[in-house]
Amino acid sequence: MTQNLDLTDIQGNIIKAYGAYDFNKARYLFMRIDDADKGRKFVGSITTKVTSAVRWVNDAAKGVVKPLATTNIAFTYAGLKALELPRASLRGFPEEFSMGMRKRKDILGDDGPSDPENWDKIWQEKVHIWISINGQNIDAVIERYDWVLEQIQKSDGGVKLLTGHRGENGEEDLPYQDASILYDAAGNPTAKEHFGYTDGIGDPVFEGQTNIPGRVIGRGKLTEEGKWKPLATGEFILGHVDEAMEYPQTAPSPDLLSRNGTYMVYRKLHQNVGSFNRFLDEQSKIYPGSKEMLAAKFSGRWRDNGAPVVNAPDDESKKAWDAKFAEADFSGKKRMLTDFTFNQDIEGAKCPLSAHIRRINPRGSLEYGVKDAYDTPGALVNRRRILRRGLPYGAVKDPARDDGNHGIIFMALNADIKRQFEFVQQQWINYANDFREGNDKEVLLGNHDAERPGKVVLQVEPGSGKPPHFVSNIPRLVETRGGDYFFVPSITALKMIAGGIIDPT
Amino acid sequence: MATRSGNATALTVLSPIKHGTVGGTSYADIIRERCLRLPIHERSPLSKVPNTYLARLFILDDVFYESLPGNDSVFNFSDIFSFFSDQARRNALPKKDHLKSKYLVFSSNFYGDLDEYLAGMWDNWAYMDGGVQRDVRYIWEYCVAFDEVTDRDGFISYMKRCQLDASLFFNGSTDDSLQEQLKSLYLKQELTKFAVTYQGRSATEIQQAFRLFIERVQPENLSGPSWTPGQSAP
Repeated sequence: MTQNLDLTDIQGNIIKAYGAYDFNKARYLFMRIDDADKGRKFVGSITTKVTSAVRWVNDAAKGVVKPLATTNIAFTYAGLKALELPRASLRGFPEEFSMGMRKRKDILGDDGPSDPENWDKIWQEKVHIWISINGQNIDAVIERYDWVLEQIQKSDGGVKLLTGHRGENGEEDLPYQDASILYDAAGNPTAKEHFGYTDGIGDPVFEGQTNIPGRVIGRGKLTEEGKWKPLATGEFILGHVDEAMEYPQTAPSPDLLSRNGTYMVYRKLHQNVGSFNRFLDEQSKIYPGSKEMLAAKFSGRWRDNGAPVVNAPDDESKKAWDAKFAEADFSGKKRMLTDFTFNQDIEGAKCPLSAHIRRINPRGSLEYGVKDAYDTPGALVNRRRILRRGLPYGAVKDPARDDGNHGIIFMALNADIKRQFEFVQQQWINYANDFREGNDKEVLLGNHDAERPGKVVLQVEPGSGKPPHFVSNIPRLVETRGGDYFFVPSITALKMIAGGIIDPT
Repeated sequence: MATRSGNATALTVLSPIKHGTVGGTSYADIIRERCLRLPIHERSPLSKVPNTYLARLFILDDVFYESLPGNDSVFNFSDIFSFFSDQARRNALPKKDHLKSKYLVFSSNFYGDLDEYLAGMWDNWAYMDGGVQRDVRYIWEYCVAFDEVTDRDGFISYMKRCQLDASLFFNGSTDDSLQEQLKSLYLKQELTKFAVTYQGRSATEIQQAFRLFIERVQPENLSGPSWTPGQSAP
């Protein structure tokens, strides 16, 4: 039997990247619970509007139609404690979740400007609840936001909306974090982020999702035969079997509390746009290729259309790729963006070993071309995948400056924060032993040191007679401005939390 | 026996610690405290002992008791017997054992000959503890029969008497002397800096700069410039 997911029980943000469903705007709210009883009632009222993962239909008579706004909710460990979950249930949560993101700073590399003491003020507060509203337009977001405020009001002091988000105009005390897709000069929606890259192309595909044959290429797991299969559900949703053919060990009891839930990493990542532009300009002066080609080498994809650099490694081949892309139909285009491995590029001559997409998803290349080095080519990769959600925030007012309030609200979903998100951040972004690149950090996200700026090597084809290219003086391009670890319960679990009837015995 | 792998040696020394106390603290705990106070990195006494790749000291309080795993094959008889009698299960368990004394364990992976290495320990082990200069005798002071050690030869034969053969030695280092390894690391780092600085320049310019570079880094000179043993930052 194939896996069927309880889509009506799973929160929608786990299965859907709302941005891909025309939800262009989002607002994130954080709350503190001051009274357990009132807090549980509040959770109950929010639950009535929580968006599930159910497939939307066009005809309301046949099912659920796409709403104008969605609502999702998640909790920190402190939040679950404040809601008086039984101690035996709390004990079942993994250590990194109960510690929270601040205390994991050494593992995450949140130092210097990314140190928690430099985060937005809200992160000095006791954050218990996260609520996200995604809207097809800002009015729909505001309408739902007002509704949430009403519920807070009704909690009669039981729940407090926390302030302290940095805003566009120098505000330091906003009660919410807004996010939005970016628009081009003509006002058309784009899939870009502030450095100009096309984002969110290759999210993992796992068992139970719909239309798998159409989406699994380049996004699932690589088999020995070179085919793609969906990853195990348990890598992303608790209560389901994972890639080790086990139930995730991170699930607290009772089963109904954890099943169909997952963990979410929320991070506000500020982008130093001025530094990025200066760095790219400076480095492209000494680079034997165009500026855009160098930018593509940093991320592994070309900025304009996301073309994978492994299939379009230089300016010349990019032209040919573009021509083919222009002629391809919708599914052909999707395939060109995701259907690739690094197996024909073990040295990293096309896609550098320190490029963003190669570091976060090496696609079986950690076998280093040794066929059957492991049971499966993805043996070192399949348990390190994360679902990425989130949107850009803020606007770049002056592309020559770093300050201001603009970046990405990064959200990662996984069944095991330590094994998946934290591992990728610590071992693959901020360290490179697995990539045989010493301690070179990933170009864009690495926590490069101002005192000892980073470097990476852009390799060349062995035997080509060309020298490798060194990219040096890499400044800190992305800084953490806040975040925490959250538990995203199923809708059943939300109802049980609200009812105060979680019983682990 | 695999105490040696190429030019590398795995040394394991177990020195029994005397029974007894000083001012209410056992000898074993005094040694443990002295070990915990050892300075690290460049100031570690081990950084002064020539050719030490990696070494450590700890106190072995007792041996661990390993019970039988619940199920180590398709089924195991003791489990089935235990259905009838717990005595049957207990009889099938391994005997419990204890050490007669606590041991100071010193284990080191180093380059070269054992006698030379131990002589190097006697001659060079030096550090400050609480403002007082200490040598290697300070750590071993309360080990059984160590009071008979009065000179370098005595130390070498003492350590060799306490030595355990390594049965499985994986050398996590290259087969070169420590000096050569440190020099290689230094050269690798300096060469990277050179490549970054001069990439894209003309062949003549690079050649000239390279000549100066070689003069500065002196690849053949192992004693310097180089990394120092125990160095913790570039």
